Amino acid sequence: MRQLTAFTKKELRESLRTGRMPLLVILSVLFGIMNPLVAKLTPWMMENFAGSLEESGMVLTEIKVDVFTSWTQFYKNTPIYLIVFIVIASGILTTEYQKGTLIIILTKGMNRWKLILSKAFSALLLWTVCYWISFGITYAYNMYFWDNSMASHIFFGAFCLYMTGLWLITLIMLMSSLCSTNYMVLAGTGGVFFVFYLLAWIPDMKKYIPTQLMSSYSLLPQAADVSDFMCAVVITGVLSVVNLLLSILIFNKKLL
Amino acid sequence: MTVSELLPFLIPLAIAELLLLFITLRHILTHKNYKRGSRALWLVVTIVGLEFIGPVLYLLLGKEDN
Amino acid sequence: MDMLTLSHVSKSFGSKKIIDDLSFTVPEHCVYGFIGQNGAGKTTTMKMILGLLQTDSGTIKVNGETVRYGQNRTNRYMGYLPDVPEFYGYMTPSEYLRLCGEITGMSSAGIRKKSDELLHLVGLDKENKRIHGFSRGMKQRLGIAQALLNEPKLLICDEPTSALDPLGRKEILDILLSVKDHTTVVFSTHILSDVERICDEIALLHNGRTALKGTLEEIKSRRKGNGFDIEFYTPQDADAFAASMSGSERISAVRLFFPGKDEKDMTHAMKILADNALCVQKVEMREATLENLFMEVIGI
Repeated sequence: MRQLTAFTKKELRESLRTGRMPLLVILSVLFGIMNPLVAKLTPWMMENFAGSLEESGMVLTEIKVDVFTSWTQFYKNTPIYLIVFIVIASGILTTEYQKGTLIIILTKGMNRWKLILSKAFSALLLWTVCYWISFGITYAYNMYFWDNSMASHIFFGAFCLYMTGLWLITLIMLMSSLCSTNYMVLAGTGGVFFVFYLLAWIPDMKKYIPTQLMSSYSLLPQAADVSDFMCAVVITGVLSVVNLLLSILIFNKKLL
Repeated sequence: MTVSELLPFLIPLAIAELLLLFITLRHILTHKNYKRGSRALWLVVTIVGLEFIGPVLYLLLGKEDN
Repeated sequence: MDMLTLSHVSKSFGSKKIIDDLSFTVPEHCVYGFIGQNGAGKTTTMKMILGLLQTDSGTIKVNGETVRYGQNRTNRYMGYLPDVPEFYGYMTPSEYLRLCGEITGMSSAGIRKKSDELLHLVGLDKENKRIHGFSRGMKQRLGIAQALLNEPKLLICDEPTSALDPLGRKEILDILLSVKDHTTVVFSTHILSDVERICDEIALLHNGRTALKGTLEEIKSRRKGNGFDIEFYTPQDADAFAASMSGSERISAVRLFFPGKDEKDMTHAMKILADNALCVQKVEMREATLENLFMEVIGI
């Protein structure tokens, strides 16, 4: 237990002092504010464009901005934030391989599986905090300007997207135990994501695919039901645990 | 649409952006070596790209990982 | 008691056999020099002892326990100083030692006491800066502090002195000597003067095997009787002496060398000198130096 806490503390101190944590937290705040702001600005932007659009023969009807406009933004922008997060997190093990900093730590008697778990835990913790900050801010603005109660399953919908991030982070851990540079880790993670994305085109598979969780917005206007996502949530959870177990097994035999 | 309507957005946005700018500038000024680019380049990028793009670029591409 | 035992250890990388049936033992409380050319397999051997590399065959025992690759139970007896120690640049030395101490499972008070002591020993107690501004020598010293933190029974240093200037080398060697009472030290090097300065026992690694091993005196005495030199004042004296004692080689006008002769022959020679009233500049036994032993073994 001591090793786990000590190394987790080291991870958190690292992300704080290297500026990774402040960057990600501030970005999550910015993204959180941006969602309702863009929604709020939509009619004004449309008015400005209206003139030029009319010339090209398009007529704008009155645009109604409500809580759904803002939540749509949330589901559109958060994946971008997730990409930034993944890029930043991709060096979690590979920078240590390249610098050789793990050698001393391991010869001090650090258990390899505890090393992986501490790293995964601190990355997941950071994701959890950042994601829910962003969600919380958007939620608060939506409450202030519009009415959250109009949309259904707000929390479950957000949880689905959160799970996608969780799964991708465990995938980073797995790829890091396999590869030696962070470009390879990114390529591997992207590759797996893309394969799942393609699999989701098969109608029968759709329900079970982790990438499907990113379209959980449809829950809000009740275009989809919780049961449509339940399978994918469970499978994503199971896959995340499998990713972590595999990364421990592989890392145990890894040559450093 | 008036400015006062946007104030609830603008104030926290400005605070977050200034904070990010401050952290980035401090990091640039307290480090001698960068993964790529030079101090002058990153100062310009950070300040010109004030809207959090500059700082993000620096922290992603220019910061030494240690 | 033996602290470290390697028996019949082999290791290949691809088709290249780096370590070939290597066996040696290191007794407790000794400074063991592990000598070899660059690329002789010193680092490979050390990494196998630490469980960072898998052996192809053979067993390694540390303090009586077998080393297993990947799992580092035996590492709690060991401290390791890599050839280029790498630390987390954003930490200060005492923060780094605290992390190491917590990983090995020392008590909080123990860590504070021990790290103060060690930072003082290696001369870093005034440094509160973060490690990323440290010079090579400072990192090497922090590396030693880190390796000694858990009071290891066995300290393994991989070329601790090769990148340092003479002063830095002396400091590191002094530190290694000073911990000898509590710790067995194994260190690899290709600098022979370092070996002569601090080692009790040595092993010379060549072509994946120990070409030479034993205590420093043993090895040197084994090569005794290399012969002796006599240097005269005049060539005439040398001529006269060469005529009265056989087996000489003329090295220069005034210098004779008697290869393969021992102490008895030398006293005999001195008797002849005295009888003939020949005066000499010097009579000198050729001692085996580590360097010519090294050259001899490697075959240059």
